[in-house]
Parts: sequence; structure tokens; C-alpha cells
Amino acid sequence: MRPIAITGIGIVSPSGIGKRQFWANIKAGRSFIKSITRFDSGLYPSHIAGQIDDLDAYTHVSERLLKKMDAFSHMALISSEMALQDAGLDIQKEDPNLVGIFLGNAIGGWLYAETELRDLYREGREGVSPYMASAWFPAAPQGQVSIYYGIKGFSKTVVSDRASSLMALGYAGKTLGKDKLNLILAGGMEAPVTPYALLCCNTYGCLSKNNDNPQSAYRPFDKKRDGFVIGEGAGIVTLENIERAKARQANIQAVISGYGTTCDGKDRINPATDGKELARAIQMALDDAQVSPEKIDYISLDGMACDDWDLGEVSAIKQVFGDKAKTIPASCPKSMFGNLLGASGVVDVITTVLSMEHNLVPPTINLDEPANNGLNYIKKEAKEYKINKALVISRGRGGINSALVIEKGVR
Amino acid sequence: MEVKEKIRETIINLLKLKPQELKDNEKLCEGIGADSTELVELVIALEKAFGVKLSAKEITKFCSVDDIEKMIQSKLSDFSSQLSAKR
Repeated sequence: MRPIAITGIGIVSPSGIGKRQFWANIKAGRSFIKSITRFDSGLYPSHIAGQIDDLDAYTHVSERLLKKMDAFSHMALISSEMALQDAGLDIQKEDPNLVGIFLGNAIGGWLYAETELRDLYREGREGVSPYMASAWFPAAPQGQVSIYYGIKGFSKTVVSDRASSLMALGYAGKTLGKDKLNLILAGGMEAPVTPYALLCCNTYGCLSKNNDNPQSAYRPFDKKRDGFVIGEGAGIVTLENIERAKARQANIQAVISGYGTTCDGKDRINPATDGKELARAIQMALDDAQVSPEKIDYISLDGMACDDWDLGEVSAIKQVFGDKAKTIPASCPKSMFGNLLGASGVVDVITTVLSMEHNLVPPTINLDEPANNGLNYIKKEAKEYKINKALVISRGRGGINSALVIEKGVR
Repeated sequence: MEVKEKIRETIINLLKLKPQELKDNEKLCEGIGADSTELVELVIALEKAFGVKLSAKEITKFCSVDDIEKMIQSKLSDFSSQLSAKR
């Protein structure tokens, strides 16, 4: 694909709001997984999460607008504003027809939906907010952000479970590559720390039940893993064609150079453990980037911390990278703040871009003894390492596979 | 509380406005930029506040606080007349 510049970063996560705070916590290897305090979740099998409690302190959104939206749209608006500021862009000076927005989300805005459904059954239809219809559905953040900035170009919301936001970045890059737009806000958002959403995540059956030890509960690839931990947040980046970014002397923080996606087509929930289709997605991304496997010097792992998922992921990496898999630093930084489901892919990309900038590979915390050998796991602490080309893997329920190649600087 | 004050209070609370932002003679779609969903919410809130039936066709974006006051006064007076007739 035609390389696309990442020129601005906006991040709202349990590990911090804004890229400086986020990176400071990531490089320190701090866990932000805690017992859920937003509601009484004590009877849920898994009641720990990466939760954000200070969103209002960072908001630029009026109370009048806030009451019309769920937290996931609010997070998207804050991330978008941060990304635009980071990119040094005044969106009002852009041609609105040539600005797009590509976001990914898995489950929608359930705090809003649950509250209004409760009122529907308690008070009847007149008890339900008229904003309900436009607040809860997965494309709501795309709508709110586009209205807020007057964005009028081709836009899209990808709903592909946890792979959603990485796919959104992939499609955004392809669209920019066809010169259909000048600028895209791309990324994703998720707010699953609500009673109903948490229940759905629990019935899905892959969450850690290590409630007594929240900070060490999320243990991707570890022998003592017992599932992942959910988190909430949003990540949005500004994407532009290299030529345009250079012309306006933007800070090109990284370049998206390849994207690949496949499906396992096997089971409605579980992935194929042979990792063949994930390997094909990774190879597709590498081919798209015209990068050979030996040139990759960091792998950002999906890291579900479930036997079948981890097994398939390691197997796929070995199929593509062969013996080189043992030497490429690989980690799953989301072990610190939780799996942001539909927003997890873009947050992994942001983490990787910051890792490239700081020449530091963030760790997989809680990985004491690997259950799946054959990878160069960066464990416990961040490690100094120069990353020029990285692979980010993101996967969704039912065997949705996506992979993105990002590079430091323009070739 | 007077009808007009109650209408103002309802709109101000609903749309999170400062009192000075709401002008009594200005159309709702102009000064405060009320959108269609906010008007639906306003109809429901006014019905609750005054105990009268209103429709979205009656409260449009072209209404002002003064227009709404006239409409509600008229409904309240119709309601009183009906009540007296029944007695």
C-alpha cells in the first residue's frame, strides 16, 4: 500500500490520558487493573478492569452535548481533540469534504443503553431519553466527532470485535492511498465497564477470575494465565499522505505501510489453534508493506491470555518468521491496562509508535514463565531497543485476524 | 411560579444554558440552536411540568419562549373551563 503518515496521537486509557502520561506509565511497567468501583460487580465471576475515573477533568465538551452521548463517544471526542492538537492541525482550515473519520468499536455505548432500558421498563416509553437511539450504537462516536468538527468526507465505523480499530486504521490508510481524502481521524473507542457489558464479557468465558490480585491478573502467554481483563478507553490518530504531511512540515511520528486481514471461518467464538489464517494475514501485511519478515524488529502481540488464542498467535508468528521469531522482541503492553476490545488495536499502534520514538520496548507484565515458547518475550520491564519496523497484531472473536506494519520515518 | 418562569427554567435545565443565553422572543432554533431531538425532550418536560398534552408539531424550532407561554396559557385555560363546565 501507499505509505501513510501518522501525524498526531490522542489517547484516553486507564494508564493515562494524553500521550505523555500514558507513555510514562507504560515505560514504567505499572498496572492499572483494579477492582471495578463504578457499580456493584462483586457477584460477577470477573470483576476487575482498567477503569477511567477522571474523564471529566480532560473534557472540552459542553454539558449540553455530554448528556446526549455515552462515555465511548466522549472518549472519542477527547482523543480526537488531542490528536488534532498533537498534529498541529486546525480542522476548520481543512476542506471538510476531504476530511474523513474511520473508527472501530465492538459493543456500543452500553451505560447509556442500559440506563434507558431500565427507565423504559420502569416508567414506560416516556421515561426514555430521545437521545437513546443516537447515543448507544457503535457508529455514534463517528457521528458525534464528525458533527463536532463538521467533517463531511467519506467515513466509516468498523465493527469487528477486538480487531475493529486496527481494521479501521487499515481501511483509512487504503482510502488515503487512493487520494480520496486529505486527512482522516482514525482509531477506536470502547466503554465496556458497565453492568450489562461486563455480563456479556463474562458469559463470553475468556476473562480472568483472579479478582483478588487485579494487578497480576492479566498474564498473556504465561503458564498461570486464566484469561484477559477488559479495559476502557479510546485511541485516535491523524493520518495524512506523506506528501501532504511533508509539505506542511508535520511531525511524521510513524508510517503505516502494510495491512492484512483474514478470517478463520471455524467457530463463532474461538480461533483456529493452528494460526494458519493469522499467519496469512501477517504475510499479507508484510507483502503489502514490501517488507520481508527479517526486517521486522518488534511485534506487538494481541495476547488474549487464553490457551487457544495464545497458542494460535505464537504458531502464526513462527510460521511467518521461522527461526527469526526467537530473536524479534515481542510484547503485549495491554497487560498493564486491560484489553480495550474494539479500541485495543489502535492503542497497540500508539504504544508501538511511542516505543519507536523512545527506542524502548514496553514489557508484558506478569509474564513469569511462558506457556508457549519460541518468541523473544520482553517481560516485566521495558528494554532499550531501536525499532524501525514493527508488526501489530489484533484479533477478534470467531477468528477475525488483522495485522498492520508500521515504520519509523519515511523510507 | 409564573408560567413563563417555569418554561424558562425547564428549557435552561434541559439544555444546560445560562439564563442570559435564553431570550424570550427568540426562536429556539436561532439563539440557542435547539435541534429536533432537544425539542422532543422539551415537549416531554413541558408536559410533565404543566400537566398538559403537547405535540412535537406545536413546539417547533420556530417557537420562542413567548410563543410557548401563549400556547400553554391557552391549554391551561381550556383545561380550567372544561373543569368548571363539568362541575
